[in-house]
Amino acid sequence: MKRAALLLTLVMAVPTAPHALRAQSVRARLEGRVPASSIPAIDSLIHEAGREGLPTDLLVQKAIEGGAKHVSGERIVKAIELNIDQLRRAQTLLVSAGDMPPVTPSEVAAVVWARKRGLDSATVTRIVSAIPDDRRAAALHAVADLVFHQFQADSATDLILTAVREGMHGGRLLDVSYAAVQEIQRGHTRPEALAMVERQLPNVPTQPPPAKSTLERARRPIAASHTESVTP
Amino acid sequence: MSIRSDPSDPEVVARVLGGDQEAFGILIRRYEPGLLRYATRMLGNGDAAADAVAEGLVRAYRHLASCREPVRLRTWLYRIVANRCKSHLARHSTSDVSLEEAPPMADPADTEAEVERAEQVALVERALERLSPEKRQAFVLKHVEGMSYEEMAAVTGERIPALKMRVHRAREALLEALEEYR
Amino acid sequence: MNPIDPRVHQALDGEISPDSLPPELRRQVERLESAAALLVRVPSLEGVERRVMAIIARPAPTRLRRLTRWLVTPHSLVLRVRPVWSVALAAVAVLFAIIPVRETGVRLGREEGVAQFVARFPGAQSVAVVGSFNDWAPGSIPMEDRDHDGVWRASVVLPAGTHEYMFVVDGERWVADPLAGRYVADDFGRENSLLIVRPAHR
Repeated sequence: MKRAALLLTLVMAVPTAPHALRAQSVRARLEGRVPASSIPAIDSLIHEAGREGLPTDLLVQKAIEGGAKHVSGERIVKAIELNIDQLRRAQTLLVSAGDMPPVTPSEVAAVVWARKRGLDSATVTRIVSAIPDDRRAAALHAVADLVFHQFQADSATDLILTAVREGMHGGRLLDVSYAAVQEIQRGHTRPEALAMVERQLPNVPTQPPPAKSTLERARRPIAASHTESVTP
Repeated sequence: MSIRSDPSDPEVVARVLGGDQEAFGILIRRYEPGLLRYATRMLGNGDAAADAVAEGLVRAYRHLASCREPVRLRTWLYRIVANRCKSHLARHSTSDVSLEEAPPMADPADTEAEVERAEQVALVERALERLSPEKRQAFVLKHVEGMSYEEMAAVTGERIPALKMRVHRAREALLEALEEYR
Repeated sequence: MNPIDPRVHQALDGEISPDSLPPELRRQVERLESAAALLVRVPSLEGVERRVMAIIARPAPTRLRRLTRWLVTPHSLVLRVRPVWSVALAAVAVLFAIIPVRETGVRLGREEGVAQFVARFPGAQSVAVVGSFNDWAPGSIPMEDRDHDGVWRASVVLPAGTHEYMFVVDGERWVADPLAGRYVADDFGRENSLLIVRPAHR
């Protein structure tokens, strides 16, 4: 089994080489989608970010989102600035956690997701330090799932890191957090839930697959835009 | 309320099930030392042992009504804690389960006899660590917790002949390990 | 591992007296008994009793108490805390590993999976999924309510990974998925739901 082919990449689609972003493609994607007057400012911000080695596709997506939500050009610009700031901080966190620069876009994106989902930088640092490879993204999401359900960040991290040490990765880590959430739904306390799930590792139930009828009905988005390839 | 010394296990269980939460403390005080000792010998780690015992006791409290024979509470509690220890061991490879690395540090004020004793304890602990979990459990329950084979059967769910075999093998392995260290 | 003379076992099991054994075997019995004696003493750890009593004293929330707590907890624009019953629905609303290509109507690439969206919008005329995977354009992923019970569904082939999304109800009301269980600020004053798509081929 080729490990590379089976990686779960929990990041938004990002181009492999952010600095290879051509001026054309950003404007082309924004045109008609965001208020015309704001395009130069957005474009300039995104290119600046690209020069810093930050993943720019997330930023383009954010601008398009603002346009689709009929938000003013000014607010879109503000959102882009905010996101650039988040990307920079994520990059800094990774480097200080021991990653060698240049940090890959998918790693930066994973950290940004984690922070947006409410994980504090100490927890994120702990996770990325403990997991030196692409299993981080899944682990970050799994811990964020638990924190969202008011588990303590430290003990949630303990559980997920234990699962990682058991060889679990990708979606299986999400099964772990899901199992713990189920236990509190059943009335157990959070420490009990974590302990119970830890005991089950690595044999935590996996989420049920969709019904055949669902699969048969599955279809791609109509007129989906660009198919960015996911960077391994 | 009259104060009685040493209520029996069934009496305490009845009180707890009747709503007297505090009474569970009697059971904890009664059994925690043995349970903790058992867990420490099994896991080689005081903190992990404390967790296993605490979790086990909480679980026992929550499921107290399902303890069918309160007169055999002791083996029931050991069973619960033994399961916690088993899971812990299954999850951690043997290389992780090592006894506290350094042998107990002897205080210069200790007498020579005490220092020697500390070294002997460390020796035995290392020998115990080398046993498989099943053999270690059998030895500890029999010779440290002083259980009969019937009690051990209730704790482990294993049949007595199998337990006897494990104890025998454990003794052999331990003796060999002890001889080796001399 | 050298077998021990059976009489040693008998002595240790209390079936015979160690005094009846020859010196060498008696020595083995003593060695093992003193080893066990050394193991009997263990430094006691403070706090186990306190810990256990503290956990026990905490009341386990009853269903009613959980629901009450949920009702009085202030929510932001979107539901943040879900009541117990929604877990079952949420279980189908997120992500799946799926059976190989042959059994689906669509060919799936190596880095693709299927996301199943489910939402309750009784009375709605149309519901669409919009997100980072379709440039947030309504019309791209229409949902269906085949049996008109107010439950809308769509199953969509998407790239594996993390995606932000919302539902658009009746072409104009933008709502985060209340069953998503994962949310992020959209930086425009609202919240998006988060979807994690697992690849079909593992």
